Amino acid sequence: MRTYAIVRRVGAVAVGAMLLAQAAHAQRGGGRGGGRGPRGFDMSALSDPNGFYTPPDFRGNPVYDGRFTFARIKYRGYGYWSGREGPGWSHDYPDADVHFMKILREITSMRPFTDFGNVLGGAIVSLDDPALFKYPVSYLSEPGGWFPNAEEVAGLHKYLSKGGFMIVDDFPFEAWGTFTNAMARAMPDLRPIQLTGKEPIFDSFFKVDMAKVRRGYSGGGGRNGGDFYGYFEKNDPKKRLIVLAAYGQDIGESWQWSGQGFMPVDVSNEAFKLGVNFVIYALTH
Amino acid sequence: MFGALFQLLFKYRPAVFEQGDFALGAPMSVILIVLLAAALTIPALLTYFRVRGKSTPRDRIVLTVLRGAALLLLMACLFRPMLLLSEAVPRRNFIGVLLDDSRSMRIADRGTGASARTRSDFVRDTLGEKSDLLRQLRKKFQVRLFRFGGSSTRTDSAGGMRYDQRETRLVDAIEAARQDLEAVPLSGLVVVSDGADNAAAEVNDALLALRARAVPVFTVGLGSERFARDIEVQRVEAPRRVLKNGTLVADVIIRQRGFDGETVPLIVEDGGRIVARADILMPAGSDASPVRITAKLSESGARTLTFRIPVQDREQVMENNAQRALVQVRDAREKVLYIEGAPRYEVRFIREAVELDSNIQLVVLQRTADGKFIRLNVDNGDELVAGFPKTRAELYKYTAVVLGDIEASFFTHDQLAMLTDFVSVRGGGLLQLGGRHSFSEGGYAGTPLADAMPFVVEGPAVADSLSFFADLAPSLTPAGFAHAVTQIGTAKLTATEKWKSMPSVTAVNRIKKLKPGAVVLITGNVPVGGRAGMPGETMTRYEQPILAYQRFGRGLAVALAVQDDWQWRMAGSIEIDDLSFQTFWRQLLRWVTSDTPERVEARATPDQVNPKSPVNLRAIVVDSAFLRLNDAKVIAQVTAPSGARSDLPLDWAVERDGEYRAVFTPAEEGVHRVRVTATTSSGVVTDTTYIRAAALDAEYTMAEMRRPLLQRIADETGGRFYTADKISTLPDDIAMTKRGVTVVNQMDLWDMPVIFVLLVGLVSAEWGYRKARGLA
Repeated sequence: MRTYAIVRRVGAVAVGAMLLAQAAHAQRGGGRGGGRGPRGFDMSALSDPNGFYTPPDFRGNPVYDGRFTFARIKYRGYGYWSGREGPGWSHDYPDADVHFMKILREITSMRPFTDFGNVLGGAIVSLDDPALFKYPVSYLSEPGGWFPNAEEVAGLHKYLSKGGFMIVDDFPFEAWGTFTNAMARAMPDLRPIQLTGKEPIFDSFFKVDMAKVRRGYSGGGGRNGGDFYGYFEKNDPKKRLIVLAAYGQDIGESWQWSGQGFMPVDVSNEAFKLGVNFVIYALTH
Repeated sequence: MFGALFQLLFKYRPAVFEQGDFALGAPMSVILIVLLAAALTIPALLTYFRVRGKSTPRDRIVLTVLRGAALLLLMACLFRPMLLLSEAVPRRNFIGVLLDDSRSMRIADRGTGASARTRSDFVRDTLGEKSDLLRQLRKKFQVRLFRFGGSSTRTDSAGGMRYDQRETRLVDAIEAARQDLEAVPLSGLVVVSDGADNAAAEVNDALLALRARAVPVFTVGLGSERFARDIEVQRVEAPRRVLKNGTLVADVIIRQRGFDGETVPLIVEDGGRIVARADILMPAGSDASPVRITAKLSESGARTLTFRIPVQDREQVMENNAQRALVQVRDAREKVLYIEGAPRYEVRFIREAVELDSNIQLVVLQRTADGKFIRLNVDNGDELVAGFPKTRAELYKYTAVVLGDIEASFFTHDQLAMLTDFVSVRGGGLLQLGGRHSFSEGGYAGTPLADAMPFVVEGPAVADSLSFFADLAPSLTPAGFAHAVTQIGTAKLTATEKWKSMPSVTAVNRIKKLKPGAVVLITGNVPVGGRAGMPGETMTRYEQPILAYQRFGRGLAVALAVQDDWQWRMAGSIEIDDLSFQTFWRQLLRWVTSDTPERVEARATPDQVNPKSPVNLRAIVVDSAFLRLNDAKVIAQVTAPSGARSDLPLDWAVERDGEYRAVFTPAEEGVHRVRVTATTSSGVVTDTTYIRAAALDAEYTMAEMRRPLLQRIADETGGRFYTADKISTLPDDIAMTKRGVTVVNQMDLWDMPVIFVLLVGLVSAEWGYRKARGLA
């Protein structure tokens, strides 16, 4: 009974968030659309001295105050799916981040950072930045363009080994090799394990019905598209999950577009439910 | 020297003046004649003042005083002053001579090097059959000899002493001798001992009894009051029980003589295996040093730990370098309930920190939304199914409760009162973590739980946006320096250095005032570049406690007043293999669950005894709500080292609710297992404790001659204290005690040499003065 009530509430909040976000989006001169630009799009004007792309809406990271803060991982390079939204890691920023945090705040008893002044959504950190360790739950988008250097590999290894949890999303099928190669460098002893949908992470807050989860990408080259993979401690599915790979999914896009009304409510609902579950799992396991 | 000079001038020893009563021996007629003669000198003196001549008024005053003093002295002698002294009639009275027969009498601390003589040598020489002292005593008294240690028996001579008793019960021995001689006229008791008493009984009561019966006790102190060079493990205070693989923290008192500024090793052994070692610097100018040492105990059961300092060069006593402690290492699984009000990183990291600890079961009740919870690590589907416990029986199944970031209004008033009772009555541990809804900010002011907290909790609940914020760099306080919970030091860094290197954490609870009984273990200061204050306020210098605790009733209330101590694991400066956070949390939860009583709590006092010495067994029995039960059937099953079992019923001690007692005397050497079973109306509960019966070396602990104790026994009973070299007056002193069959002696004082000296002095002074002033 209780779960159904909360599910209904998610729907209502999502609609509410849509209306709120539309207003905010308009204020920021929104309407960038979501199309991905051609490869090799020159965005050097937006890069910082370290070679990282800086999203136009980025106004700095929130000052740390102990609250849960959404942490989006950035990586160098523009060669993969770079478009108007910048390189893959910044896709859906900041709308997805803001919407998701608002849903978390409304649905759960968490009090995450959502926005303060013109600082939106959360923090953006690189894997070689010591600030990463202030955010034990992080989000990496579009792993197909993720080619971490040695420092980033070392940073991720330390992060995951000490208790960090990473959600990998916006995951087209062709990105699999790039992703697993990067992970193999960071965590050489671990291998991805396909999840069944019965793991605790799918029941940490909502009971997720995998049949209702929409695939973000078509195709898959024979893979069971839309599946979730995980990296477990000691490769043991009974132990703690430390990386959740939403293979074939684009959950962030559903979070993002829930604010513009372009995404069906049911689809957004499932995306939010997955996101809430991932975070609650990460904070309790 | 002083005594001889005194006796030369005053004819008698000081003791005679102390004991005797002053009187005038001249008949009244003589006194009247003398007074009349004195009256006749007054006119003569008056005329003396009118004399004219070369003398000045000052000369006349001086001469008058000198002449008058001489006359007064003569007049006093004519009164025949005397002392009336009751003295024992020779050989009509008895004395008891108690000789210390304990092992500490073997210590050779009279003289140095090869010529050093033992305390027992003195007894043999001074009180042996052919000794002068014993002969003199026997001239005056019927002498009865006793030898004593743990017990007291009559003996014929000092030659039969073996000096092998392992304990000394001084007061018991005195009382036993007094009773033995109760039927005869007793002039006093003589105790010849080093005073190394190690009886548990209080001296006061026994002394009162002796004083009431007016039996003077003459004490003779043997041995050195201060060894030249010795080191001693004097006492070990260790917890009675620890969890397996837990950190045992023991306080060791080390006493030293002549080791100022030297470093000695302190070794802790568990069954011959070294489990801890520390180098201890003996501070100059301090005789006793408290040392705290920690050890990991990985084997369960009753463990006899030896705290030992290897024998050092030129030590006078080698038998006092070790003490033993009996510790019960429990392989139990303590159940801790952790309730967290909102999902936050704490749960993830705390669970990870303690998940490999098989002795801690961290049951988590995580609120994820209003009215929605996750239960983690529960035993079964029913546990906590209705949320936070609503009855005492349900709550008291846990040994500790951790309150996370959860507001007071989440709990009913009954639940808050129950949590308070959980600490004060059940004796459980309460750990409250910092958070925006903890302490004052969480609205706990005015609730029953506010009393338990180590801080003063005041004011209304505070909204998130108005919350205080502080960056805090941790450092240990003096109290935290050696506390079990803070020991995260490594081979390279001490615990203090390690805590200094730990990353800053943040607090959102303002701690304004500690409770009077609270102890701060870790404190926090704003680091360089940090900030503290209310919204809009920025302080760059600020300090408040991070970890503090207080005892509350039977239990322990601890506050870890930061919101993100997980940074001690996750911060960039912490390496992967740095397990300080895990160690800290394991120790923290073991600490808050330690000493949490079960429904039956058995205890043996003392838990280490010499074979055939009695042990008091005590059990406290409570019901599921921890209310004391007086109608339980309590049986102790004692398993001896040989495997022999015996059942011993414990009886209710009427004056104390829920307390049952019995006395057990171990017959075998070794560790005895005592399993106490209490059958109550609400079920059967058990507890196990241990007793170690072994030859203890208590005799060599604090083995210097204890003058204060011997002096006190003598003073309070009307006797005297002697050191070995001043014992010659003992027979005469006892004879003057007015006890037994006595006769009164008149002892003239007029013929004391000092009077003659004084008289000659006064006359000579007058003559000399006249010559000097030209008046002769």
